[in-house]
Amino acid sequence: MFSRTMTRTAIGALSLGIGAVLLAGCTSGDPLDGGDAGGDAGTLTIGNQAFPESELLAQIYGQVLAANGYDVTYEAGIGSRETFIAALQDGSIDLIPDYAGNALIFADPEAEQTSAEDVEAALPAALEELGLAVTAAAPGEDSDALVVTSEFAASNDLSTIGDLAPISGSVTLGANTEFEPRWRDKLGEVYGFTGFAFKAIDDYGGPGTLADLLAGNIQVADIYTTTPSIAANDLVVLEDDLDLFAAQNVIPLLNADALTDEIAALLDEVSALITTDVLLDLNGQMAGDDKPSAADVAEAWLTEQGLL
Amino acid sequence: MNFLIDAFGFIVDPANWSGETGIGGRLLQHLVITGLSLLFAALIALPLGLLIGHTGRGRGAVIGLTGAARALPTFGVLTLFVLIGIQFGFGLSLPPVIVVLVVLAIPPLLAGAYSGVEAVDRQTVDAARAQGMTEWQILTQVELPLALPLIVGGLRSATLQVVATATIAAYVAQGGLGRYLIEGVQSRDYVRAVIGAILLAALALLLDGLFAALQRLVVPRGVSRGSTRTTKTGSTAQRPSRPFDATRTPVTEG
Amino acid sequence: MTWLWNNLDLVLGLTAEHARLSAIPILIGFAASLPLGWLASRVHWLRGIVLTVFNVIYTIPSLALFVVLPLILGTKILDDLNVVVALSLYAVAMMLRGTIDAFGSVSGDVLQSATAQGFSGPSRFWTVQFPLAGPVLLANLRVVSVSTVSLLSVAALVGSGGLGYLFTNGYSRSFLDEIVIGIVFTVLLALVFDAILVLAGRLLMPWNRRAAVPTRIPFLKAVIPGSAR
Repeated sequence: MFSRTMTRTAIGALSLGIGAVLLAGCTSGDPLDGGDAGGDAGTLTIGNQAFPESELLAQIYGQVLAANGYDVTYEAGIGSRETFIAALQDGSIDLIPDYAGNALIFADPEAEQTSAEDVEAALPAALEELGLAVTAAAPGEDSDALVVTSEFAASNDLSTIGDLAPISGSVTLGANTEFEPRWRDKLGEVYGFTGFAFKAIDDYGGPGTLADLLAGNIQVADIYTTTPSIAANDLVVLEDDLDLFAAQNVIPLLNADALTDEIAALLDEVSALITTDVLLDLNGQMAGDDKPSAADVAEAWLTEQGLL
Repeated sequence: MNFLIDAFGFIVDPANWSGETGIGGRLLQHLVITGLSLLFAALIALPLGLLIGHTGRGRGAVIGLTGAARALPTFGVLTLFVLIGIQFGFGLSLPPVIVVLVVLAIPPLLAGAYSGVEAVDRQTVDAARAQGMTEWQILTQVELPLALPLIVGGLRSATLQVVATATIAAYVAQGGLGRYLIEGVQSRDYVRAVIGAILLAALALLLDGLFAALQRLVVPRGVSRGSTRTTKTGSTAQRPSRPFDATRTPVTEG
Repeated sequence: MTWLWNNLDLVLGLTAEHARLSAIPILIGFAASLPLGWLASRVHWLRGIVLTVFNVIYTIPSLALFVVLPLILGTKILDDLNVVVALSLYAVAMMLRGTIDAFGSVSGDVLQSATAQGFSGPSRFWTVQFPLAGPVLLANLRVVSVSTVSLLSVAALVGSGGLGYLFTNGYSRSFLDEIVIGIVFTVLLALVFDAILVLAGRLLMPWNRRAAVPTRIPFLKAVIPGSAR
């Protein structure tokens, strides 16, 4: 009773349908997934921002947790702090590596602490209001830095950020979009560096920012201190002698509900080993010719430290 | 939905229109980027398309290439060219972006051109040839005017593509209406993102409407709409909603 | 291409995710455009409204939709669902015009003779209109498929972009190879999807292999890659 057309239609539709179901089912996890050593201790989603060091830290924390029985999935390239805080709060992610000073200012814009100890002490209370928690900070720091080429520094006699004040009218600063609302006023208040032009380059001090700096399209760039390109291009980091940017120690930022004592202990153990030199070294490896993935670099380093 | 109201409020406030980073300035930048890209793309695609349509040669290759080009992920091609531009010392500037937008605009322009020429009734062309017109005359005086609606259709498609993709380009080239969107995304400022979305959508719709009108205008007098050679499937068949929208390529790459 | 061999599991995993996140919207786009398109081709005033609404949706930049949908849908910010919904909306918008035209292009004579033979309602749709509209639907679906696969990469900017990850990661490390590999695999995936669709078309519409594509709009044959050749 079924015509040939209907049979064919049915077969065709069925195969498309099966195909769709197969596709939907075959990858239920994130392919950037780390190891899964059983997952009996619980599941955690670890996020990272779209720059190499953030991914590296996410892998370091994630692989340690995975090796201790947690089922870890990763969410890469989340975006700026505004976005990942929201992601932490709504449970899209449970943990993300962040930097102490900027996290503090985000949670409490009036915060005045700048030293590593003060910032670390002030964080838990400030974060609690957002439903977030933090474990021990690592000794390693990666800070925003205003960077110029060595030629520009030499010809304008620049060594501190304050030295930019007299020439601020003729200077263009390049940084992520969110840098301007966060820092323009404070740069004026603390250093008298005002009236500069701003070019938004949303690559976290990456290749575009560097290229524009070297090409002279911008004179000052926000490049993070552990980025290999600073040393590789003889760039000059303008000294932040008035502590505008507070200490930026690496911290694991978590959703308060996701934090347990066991997780804290594991995170603390590995955080203690993350020094600024380690960051510089591992960043350099990722930028090297082989372009190893963050996962591989993290795995090698953790194995070396005996944590895997 | 408050952010919708706030967004509209921002847009209708005249204070936000002035200045280089105002709506007016960014609109101008967006139009310049779009216009330049379309110009370069047209310089390449239109002559090529007309030639292919007229001689009938190279069609297969061109169709294959445009199909493959349509499969290229715009975002990937953008990052590729920007990185190449960086390695050539360009810094973050317009040329790599223009190149990407030109590559994007060529397929629809090309398709519009050759399909326009091909849609001209062969009998008309034969008659012209019989009258002793040279190939060049046939192309310019017979095929081109008759093909104009489809060519404009291709231009319309290309324009929408480029306007939408110039949004992503705002990530690297500083200007254009996409800046509102990107600022909104980076700062998680929904109002800003919606402002960008509204402005871009409005611009796209406006241009689409303009080109639709243009398509109707360029049909040569004496040729009624839709009477380019069609396969006759019945007198009561509905007229297609967009008779000359030759290439439905997506406008949403941004 | 040693990098590729060293990171093959990453690339293949991303390809699978890309396939999943783009296949679903394509299928939804097709399925949803059928009833909408058919209805709109029958009911004249509905056609205008439906086309206008989806026209507007069509012009909203994808990034805006990815960012704003969590607010509208109430989903989590990083939920893949946001991307799937956005891409499905675009897929429907792209399919709709063609679908309406396709159903509308089946001439009244044919429909009347089908009715005269005793077909009515659903069986007339499935045995007469749908098969006749089939080739145009398929041609449009192929364009939608390619576009969706390409568009998904943009979602990498909000963390859900499948192979788009290779673009952001490659860019942040000044690594051209990675970007090229991302482009290549995206194109390959689009080609695979296209082949599947062509195959499905041959299975479902065997009469098309010999007959010319019965399309009302002749230039569709020309511009949709390889459809009638």
